[in-house]
Amino acid sequence: MRPFVPVEHRTNDFGGYRTMDTATGVERKIEAKGLSFYYGNKQALSNINLSIQPNSVMALIGPSGCGKSTFLRSINRMNDIIPNIRIDGDIRLDNSSIYGPAFDVTDLRRRVGMVFQKSNPFPKSIYENIAYGLRINGVRDRFEIEKTVEDSLKKTALWDEVKDRLHDSAMGLSGGQQQRLCIARTIAIQPEVILMDEPASALDPISTQKIEDLIQDLKTMYTIVIVTHNMQQAARVSDYTAFFYMGELIEVNRTNIIFTKPNREMTENYITGKFG
Amino acid sequence: MPTHLEQDLQAISAKIYQMADLAIESIRDSVDSLKNQDARLAENVIRRDSELDKLEIIIDEECIRLLVTRQPAAADLRLILTITKTNTDLERIGDLSTNIAKETLDSLGKPLLKPLVDIPRMGDLTITMIKMAFRAITEKNADLARECIAIDRQVDEINMQIYRELFSYMAENPATLSPSLGLIMVAKALERIGDHATNIAERAVYYIEGEDIRHQE
Repeated sequence: MRPFVPVEHRTNDFGGYRTMDTATGVERKIEAKGLSFYYGNKQALSNINLSIQPNSVMALIGPSGCGKSTFLRSINRMNDIIPNIRIDGDIRLDNSSIYGPAFDVTDLRRRVGMVFQKSNPFPKSIYENIAYGLRINGVRDRFEIEKTVEDSLKKTALWDEVKDRLHDSAMGLSGGQQQRLCIARTIAIQPEVILMDEPASALDPISTQKIEDLIQDLKTMYTIVIVTHNMQQAARVSDYTAFFYMGELIEVNRTNIIFTKPNREMTENYITGKFG
Repeated sequence: MPTHLEQDLQAISAKIYQMADLAIESIRDSVDSLKNQDARLAENVIRRDSELDKLEIIIDEECIRLLVTRQPAAADLRLILTITKTNTDLERIGDLSTNIAKETLDSLGKPLLKPLVDIPRMGDLTITMIKMAFRAITEKNADLARECIAIDRQVDEINMQIYRELFSYMAENPATLSPSLGLIMVAKALERIGDHATNIAERAVYYIEGEDIRHQE
C-alpha cells in the first residue's frame, strides 16, 4: 500500500488555503480547481478545491442537495448529458484537464468507472454483463475475456456464489449480488478511479458489509470516491471525508479527524445530528 | 428542543457529576475521620464506596448503550469517552478514600503521632483539583484543566515531605514505626487521588480540544 501522502486544499470562503499536512511529495489522482457548477441559473457547486490522492477512499458527505452527487458526477462528466449546465473551473485527472478539448470523454469514462445507488445490470447473463464492456473496448480474445470475467468476479467476492451459473440471467441475482456484479463490470475494464453514488443504500446489512469490505480491498488497486448519507459508512470505509453544504466544500480532512475532532462547527453540527 | 442524544448525554453527565460529589465527600470525610478520630465519618466513607461502585457500573452501561445505539461523533463521542474514563478514576478515588477510612478505624484509641496538618492540606488540594477538572468540563475551559494538572505537583511535593518527615521519626524511634507507616499509606493514597484528578483534567482537555495531552512530560 502507498504511504500516507499529505494533501493540500483550499476552501473558498472558509479561511483561505489550509494545509492538512506538510505538503511534500503530494501525489494527486484527481484535483478539482475552483470548480463551480450551474444547472441553468441555479448554482449547485461553488468554487470547489479538492484533491484526492491515489489508492485512497474519499467519502463525500452532506445533506441532500448539497452538491456532493453533482461533484461526483463531474469527475467522469456524467453531467454533460444534462441540458443547460455550465461549468467553471477544472477537474484534473493525473494532472490533465478532463474538461479540456484534448480529453476524450469515452476514454475518461473507461478510466473513471461509476457504480450507482440502484444496481443496474444489463438484462443479460452474468458472464455477458462483464464480457460486454470488454468487447466494446476491443477485447476479442475469448480466453482473455473468460479470465477477466473470472478475475473480476473473484475481486468482488462473487465468484464462489455465481461460478456455476455464469450464463444465467443477472436479473436473477439478489440486490447485493447485482450491485457487486456492477462493481465487477466496472473493474473488468481496468479503470483507475471508481465513483460510487450511495452504492449500499438499498441493500441489507450483510450485503452492505460485503460492499464495504470490497471497497477496502479495491482501494489497493483503485482510487475510490463514494457519496454516502450513512455517516457510519463514511467513517468505516474512507480514508478522507469531505463535507459539502449548499454547494460549498466546508471541510475535508482525514476521516478519523472529521469524526472525532472536526475543525468547523458546521461539520460538527452535521455529523452529530444537530443540524438545522 | 434538545435531541434524544443530547437528553441522554445530559442524563449521563448528571450521573458523573453526582459521582464526583460523592468522591469529594469521601475524600473530605476520610481525612476528617483521621484528623478527628471520628469512626462515624470513616464508616460513611466505606458505605459510600459501594454507592460509587454501583454508579460506576450504571454509567458504563449507559455509555455502552449510547455508543451502540447513537453512534456519537465529534464532541459527543469525546464526551462519552471522557465520561467512561473519568468514571473509573472516580471509583478508584472512592477506593483510596476507603483505604484512608480503614486506617482511621485501625488507629482509633491510639494517640496521633502529631497533629495532622499536611495530610488535610493534601486532601484540600485534591478536592480543589477534582472541582476544577469538572468546572473545566462544564465551562469547556481547557486552561482551567491545565491549571488543575499543575496543582498535582504540589500534592506530590507534600507527599514526599511527609515521607521524609515520618522516615526521620521512624529512624529515631522504632516505636513510631506502626503509626508512621499508617500515615505514609494515607499520604500515598492522597497522592494517588491527585493522579486520578490529573487524569480527569487530561480527559477534560481531550473533551474540549480533542488533544490527548497524556504522558507529555
